[in-house]
Amino acid sequence: MWSRLCVAILALAQTQAAPTVQSSDPFSQAVIDQAYHEVAPAIGVLAFTSEITNPATGDITKRDGHALGLIVAPDGLVMTHGHMLLENTQPINIRFTVGQGEDETEYRATLLEKPDDINVCFLRIESDDLPDMPYVTFSRDSTLKLGEPIVVLGLLSKTLDYARGLYTCRVGAILEKPRTTYCLDRHVRFGFVTGPAINVQGQVVGVIGFDLSPSEGGELYVRSGHPLIYQTGLFQHYIDNPPGKNEIADKQEDAWLGVFTQPLTDDFAEYWGLEKEGGVIVSTVVAGSPAEKAGCQSGDIITNFDGVPVRPKQDREITQFTKLVRETGVGKTVLIKLLRDGQPLELEVHLEARPTPAREASEYKDETFGLTVRELTTDVRITLNLPDTVQGVIIRRVKSGSVAQLAGMRPGMIIMNFGDHPVTNLDDLQEAVQKVIADKPNEVSVFCRAGSVTGFFRLEPRWNAREK
Amino acid sequence: MRKALWCLLPLASLVYGCVTTGSATQSAVVRAKDKVAPALVHIRPVKKVFSRGKREEVVMVGSGFIISPDGYVITNEHVAGKASFVQCVLYNKEEVEAEVVGVDPYTDIAVLKLDVAEPLSHVTLGRSSALEAGQTVLALGSPHGLARSVSLGIVSVTDRYLEDHGETVSPYNNWIQTDAAINQGNSGGPLVNLKGEVVGVNARMLRGAENVGFAIPIDIAREVVDQIIAHGRVMRSWIGVTLQEMTRKTDDPSIEGVVIADIDPLGAAFEAGLKPGDVMLAIDGEPTNARFEEDLPVVRKQIADIPVDAEVVVRVARGDEEIDVLLTTEEKSDLKGDEVEFAEWGFTATELTPAMVRRARLPSRKGVVVSGRQAGGIAAAARLQRGDIILEVDEAEVENLGQFRRIYEDLIASKQRLVMMVVKRGALTHFVLVKQDRNGAPASEPAEVQSRKEAYDDVE
Repeated sequence: MWSRLCVAILALAQTQAAPTVQSSDPFSQAVIDQAYHEVAPAIGVLAFTSEITNPATGDITKRDGHALGLIVAPDGLVMTHGHMLLENTQPINIRFTVGQGEDETEYRATLLEKPDDINVCFLRIESDDLPDMPYVTFSRDSTLKLGEPIVVLGLLSKTLDYARGLYTCRVGAILEKPRTTYCLDRHVRFGFVTGPAINVQGQVVGVIGFDLSPSEGGELYVRSGHPLIYQTGLFQHYIDNPPGKNEIADKQEDAWLGVFTQPLTDDFAEYWGLEKEGGVIVSTVVAGSPAEKAGCQSGDIITNFDGVPVRPKQDREITQFTKLVRETGVGKTVLIKLLRDGQPLELEVHLEARPTPAREASEYKDETFGLTVRELTTDVRITLNLPDTVQGVIIRRVKSGSVAQLAGMRPGMIIMNFGDHPVTNLDDLQEAVQKVIADKPNEVSVFCRAGSVTGFFRLEPRWNAREK
Repeated sequence: MRKALWCLLPLASLVYGCVTTGSATQSAVVRAKDKVAPALVHIRPVKKVFSRGKREEVVMVGSGFIISPDGYVITNEHVAGKASFVQCVLYNKEEVEAEVVGVDPYTDIAVLKLDVAEPLSHVTLGRSSALEAGQTVLALGSPHGLARSVSLGIVSVTDRYLEDHGETVSPYNNWIQTDAAINQGNSGGPLVNLKGEVVGVNARMLRGAENVGFAIPIDIAREVVDQIIAHGRVMRSWIGVTLQEMTRKTDDPSIEGVVIADIDPLGAAFEAGLKPGDVMLAIDGEPTNARFEEDLPVVRKQIADIPVDAEVVVRVARGDEEIDVLLTTEEKSDLKGDEVEFAEWGFTATELTPAMVRRARLPSRKGVVVSGRQAGGIAAAARLQRGDIILEVDEAEVENLGQFRRIYEDLIASKQRLVMMVVKRGALTHFVLVKQDRNGAPASEPAEVQSRKEAYDDVE
């Protein structure tokens, strides 16, 4: 069955060369029939359970979710919307169902690493004897015009057995910045997000998305609630070279400069008597960062990075600079041209790897006291405005009813001493806990930092209760 | 570090309660009420309130009581603090204006002086140290603005420790807890024993609970009032330590002292080399013991009561060693800073308090804090944010609120188009460019007026 479908899709590719659609109804029945029959089999249902961690308390709640998955390669590569992998959310037990009715087949699927420049996720179907899967071939030319009609395929609701359906809409707006973005003129139902978008020629020009990636200033679009088309060019390279498994070890390291920045708006330029040509104002230099080591200062204006002019005038243009730095490569020494007090200056910066973010930091879970703690990462240090003198580990979760909860310890506190042992990292704490377990004292004094003040907590381990 | 919903009492939820008493008690209650009621004051302060970047004046309702024939009145700081005008209604319904003599946010006590020529009825102050749980007490005041109200109950606990909660702090006293109905509006009113003596100043209630009210012990209030009448304020010493009860470290009752939990990097204790975890044993030979949290206010007060700029010997235990250190006390700074509205730009700012300096990790107390901004204002357009600490204006260092105000007034007069401020926002530094010519005047000076005027200019 699958091989027949593959043939059909190849046929679609051939038809792309000769579009022949006209008339007042932009979509002829023939084009819709063809699109539906050739593309719909590549649409499947993703079912998964999300473990959602409350960042304040560390409590985990589970929620079942469903999403449209689109097979994009015959070896079982599946694309879906980026909301599957939000911050503090970990999907588990992912299943992918293809076919409808009698032909329905369920597979297990593994999440791959999420791209950071487009809000989609990729998954890999897990099967030892996977047949060739029906898949969507995207048109490489995906330029759209304002008002151009589009057919979108997607899933109806669970009560309608996830039947495949379609609806038509038009390109309602085209945004030029930060990249060409096509907005639809209608809202889409959830089952149509990541649904293939097909033009009047029957070409699959992209998929339905809901926002830009955070690195593109995506929040703006989340608030606007406008459905978008992710045109092929944004994700085809991920299909050609699929991302690795969603494991930290596989992740390629991003380069890091260690500055917080603002765009050089025309008003800033006027105030400082500079040319109104844009630039990156360094507002904060992170302590210990490559930028600090190179002598970069707050108030410097970066105009060129590694030979690339840097000229943002608006907030959203800053993200291009961030991306440029990230992709320049860890370990590379680059030349930065900047203005300091109006005078040009050049600095050589040796780029380092971006420090591990909190959500990827190592954790240690202790059962005796009911504490789950994390390494103190650079981003947490900045968020909490911690001085370098504060060393320790941060409490992520306190088990309900535990010894730690009874003592009044709460998530967000930083453990700096456990018993008589100074704690600077997870190993220190683990060692201290092991020592306490071996010694079995009646009470353990823990020195913590909560907000900007420090204090003590007395843990009273229930040794006997454990033995029972 | 424990959270509870404490609620101040100047003005919204009805609580019902009843107490059945015998006839002997009944007449004692009436006699006690009769002794205090003529000195009861219904207080209507007009207060400065800063909200969303604007200064507003609001009328509030609270209670108080006359303590001397010449018209000194005790009430709460949260009733009379920041009041621009205080109207009082006496028990005989006569209206009298009062002047605020002084306030003490740390104990929530304020002293007013009534503008009267004739001697007034006044209360007798009792001794809160003699109170026992179970003893009958009356609460008098203006619950929900209902003047001359009396409620009856007993002392539930004589030494309730209340944890600090935001700006609601009470480091130097435990509280009298009572089930006599106390509502919003009772603030500053007297808690009275059956002898008709005032034993407490009603100030707080537990929100969501029934008849769980709290009064400041009169022994604490009396000392504060005496200092306010004599000096206009209360002077306290500070050495820069945060204390915790011994049970935070050990349950062993043979180990005495008080735990030093935190050291302020700008304080004398830091300079003297004291460390968190040290156990303070004595100051100038006087033991400083706090085994339980209820013992902490006494030790804190012991430190506060040392004269300012005095050299003291602090004895601490560190591990098995006992160490004496010499340090000089400093004056404890105000709990709350002054607040000012900057109307043209549409924002308000306060002085930096030591706690803010600490949180922001500033090297000194220089700067002012943005406390609010108006929608549509110049400050909002420049994306100045609440909590921003303004450190520099046009490369001039901001010293304090008064100096910032002068810089600001000069800028307004100069009509300079662009003004640069360097602000600290959490751990980050940020440049804020203020456009004074922006057509976004605050609500107090509508934008239309401005543009219409410009239109006329064009016609001419």
